[in-house]
Amino acid sequence: MSAPLLSPDLLRRLEQFQLLSRRRSKSSARGERRSRARGQSVEFADHRNYVPGDDFRYLDWNLFGRLERLFLKLYEEERELPVTLFLDASESMAFGTPAKFTFALRVAAAIGYVALCGFDRVNVRLFPENPAEGALRNALRSVRGRASARGYFERLGQLAAQGSADFNACLRREAMQAQPGGLAIVLSDFLDPAGYEDGLKALLGRGFQISAVQILAPEEVAPSTYGDLQLLDAETGAVQEVTFGKFRLAAYQKCAGQYCQRLREFCQARGIRFFSASSDTPLEELLLKQLRQAEVWG
Amino acid sequence: MSFINPFAFTFAAALPVVVVFYLLKRKRVVQRVSSTVLWQKFLADTQASAPFQKLKRHWLLILQLLMLALAVLALSRPYFSTPTAQGRLIVAILDASASMQSTDVVPSRFEKARTEAVSWVDSLHDNDQMVVLQASASTQVKQSPTSNKAALRRAIQTCSVTDGPTRLAEALKLAETLTRDQPAAEVHLFSDGAATGLSELENKGLRLVYHRIGASADNLGLISLDVRAHPEDPSRRALYLGIANCSTNEKSSSLELLFNGQLLETRNLVVPPRSTSPQVFTASQAKDGIFTVRLGAKDDLTADNQASIVSLLPRPSRVLLMSKGNRFLEKAIKTAPNVELENATAYIENQKKYDVVILDDVAPTVWPTANTLAIHVATTNWFPGWKTLSAPPIVAWKNTHPLLRFVNFDTVQIAESLVVASNSWAVPLVESTQAPLMVAGELKRQRIIWLGFDTLQSTWPLRVSFPIFIANAIDWLNPAASQAAQLFVRAGDSFRYSLTQPLTNTTVNAVSPDGQKHPLSLEGGGRELVFGDTAKQGIYHVQIGTNDLPFCVNLLDAPESDITPRTEMEFGKYGKVKATTVQRADLEFWRWLAALGLGVLMFEWWYYHRRSV
Repeated sequence: MSAPLLSPDLLRRLEQFQLLSRRRSKSSARGERRSRARGQSVEFADHRNYVPGDDFRYLDWNLFGRLERLFLKLYEEERELPVTLFLDASESMAFGTPAKFTFALRVAAAIGYVALCGFDRVNVRLFPENPAEGALRNALRSVRGRASARGYFERLGQLAAQGSADFNACLRREAMQAQPGGLAIVLSDFLDPAGYEDGLKALLGRGFQISAVQILAPEEVAPSTYGDLQLLDAETGAVQEVTFGKFRLAAYQKCAGQYCQRLREFCQARGIRFFSASSDTPLEELLLKQLRQAEVWG
Repeated sequence: MSFINPFAFTFAAALPVVVVFYLLKRKRVVQRVSSTVLWQKFLADTQASAPFQKLKRHWLLILQLLMLALAVLALSRPYFSTPTAQGRLIVAILDASASMQSTDVVPSRFEKARTEAVSWVDSLHDNDQMVVLQASASTQVKQSPTSNKAALRRAIQTCSVTDGPTRLAEALKLAETLTRDQPAAEVHLFSDGAATGLSELENKGLRLVYHRIGASADNLGLISLDVRAHPEDPSRRALYLGIANCSTNEKSSSLELLFNGQLLETRNLVVPPRSTSPQVFTASQAKDGIFTVRLGAKDDLTADNQASIVSLLPRPSRVLLMSKGNRFLEKAIKTAPNVELENATAYIENQKKYDVVILDDVAPTVWPTANTLAIHVATTNWFPGWKTLSAPPIVAWKNTHPLLRFVNFDTVQIAESLVVASNSWAVPLVESTQAPLMVAGELKRQRIIWLGFDTLQSTWPLRVSFPIFIANAIDWLNPAASQAAQLFVRAGDSFRYSLTQPLTNTTVNAVSPDGQKHPLSLEGGGRELVFGDTAKQGIYHVQIGTNDLPFCVNLLDAPESDITPRTEMEFGKYGKVKATTVQRADLEFWRWLAALGLGVLMFEWWYYHRRSV
């Protein structure tokens, strides 16, 4: 049996958090989030004139006593907050020690657990498509309630990273299929030759409040293999020849830093919260420090 | 345009190597990575499956090829023949005498001299010229004036050290001739200074630089060797030899005597510092053979540790004395060893059976053909003219000549003497103030002693020196003695041997001590053998048909055995040249720079490809 994605201690600490949203929920399902809709709750919202057919139970009798006119009391409707996790399960995520995909699954589990504890609906969308995992993926499309957490973790643990993905195309398609609005968490390495801009823009167009988490392997941040190399791209199969040595490490790290910085600037310019982590980073560092400071949850 | 060093074009083989380096694709390790996005800035070469890639127009490659081509061209040393100002003329004289074999400097003095001479060749300017002379017993011009450094180096490398003495005067005279009317000429002498005969050389403005070679003088050497009949026991032979110690320490050594290679006697001797030790061996001899003496001491010079001499069995000398009556002379002849004397009061024409003819105041009708001692013989056609001197004083005599060995004329007075004009074949031995009184020499293979005064008209017969002279004369005139002398040659001198019968259609070879055969030339109508290649000492063998004639070549030179490096050399009465310890030489180092340039080029290529991505 594989190790659990999250430790019991971490789960206890995550239970204290609740996902924060800057926008009111637009979901139609009832939940515990404030929304613009009027309905039944304890939160008073407004008055309106009585029209025949209204439920007498919502008449404001105190106001009728002072003004001798019938007014109806209106309350805010509490709806759920959809949380959509866009998880990159391409071949490139299988690299690293520990693997980038494992780290991404643990982050997805933590976010999902916080959402489930807050009675929010969790929707995990994986790309690229993998017909072999069709049932598994469908089960992760709509998970709600704290009681579903155990099944949610088990299904996540059964996922594997394989196949090649066009990041932009996949994200556009998933964005169209997902329920619009709500929180969107993109977990990927963002290392696609075609770029990442179109995919993120598609999510923005669908009204998501996006958080992007870039996960890189330690070997990608500081390569330790030197000499005359023939690099084979795991996804595209492209071959690149390179001669690399210790004296070029600083230049490489500078180049990689510039790439990440461009991604960060792109996100910040569009109101996307951006996080970057190496797959060997302690999970608590990302969850309890970075996400909390960025008010992803509180 | 020509090239001094065309062999440097072999370096042009490096040009295709550079191109191949560019074409050759290095073998790479296949590495599977998540993505190549981050590597894009490091990608340099595009992939190809073939081991060679297409040669592109690469400026770096072109520059490298250009630089390499220029370096190869520079190494080939191209030049144009253009009229230019005359440069210096340097005459390099390499002392190749025996003393230069000394090993007090490593590997030897001669090799050190050769190295220094080569460094001077390297320092020559383009328009300088150099002459290479090798000086030993004779002077050889190894290279006539040239600026071609390769030819000069070759000439110096062909120089070889000999076992002969140094005769620098001949080389210096030649250098003086070469540098005449050359104001910028220099003569560089690479020597240890062990040379004789320089006192007669006048240094007339010769710019001589003396490069002293040598450090110490640890040598014990044989400087003289002679074999004669034992004075007290004519049946035995006596060897007289001299051993010199030129070091400043006392030296001890073993001394061996061998006859035909068989050891006869060994003795130990101790020679005080800077002195000579005479030694005498006596040995019985049953047949003709070769005596060899050998020193066992280990010293810096081995060339003088061994000497050999041919010893021929003494034969009675048949002497014909034609005299009107001279008891002193007759008694002196009889006193000499191995003499069979016949007297005659008048001239006898048939003299074929006699080895020596003595004419004592007797005028011959026909001159003798045997070796002759002529006393007070006036009518002679040996000399162009003669006259009479009354009471001529004896002012000088040459006691280094074998005839006057142990002979003294201090108390000899002469009443009257005939004197003759000097002649080319004769050497004056006793001289008065005006003319020689005694001459000796060899004319057409006939040895002749001519004495101008009648011995009875002088006090000489009453002196001890008279019988000694007669004994010396009979020994010198004995054909056997002259034959033995011909078989004893100093290193570097020519071997000349007279034959009784002329040789025709006979192959004559000389076999040197190292076993090499040299054809011999015949002179004098086939009656004289001449061989000049006697640079190495040892026992030589002349093969005349099936006959074998051995002769010995020895150093036996006291100045040569004294290997003390001279700090100064004296020329003439007043001239001196001090040893130059430091002499500036312009040493070129462009080869090293060119080689360094090539090395940098190769390193640049390697470093560039190591860093390239």
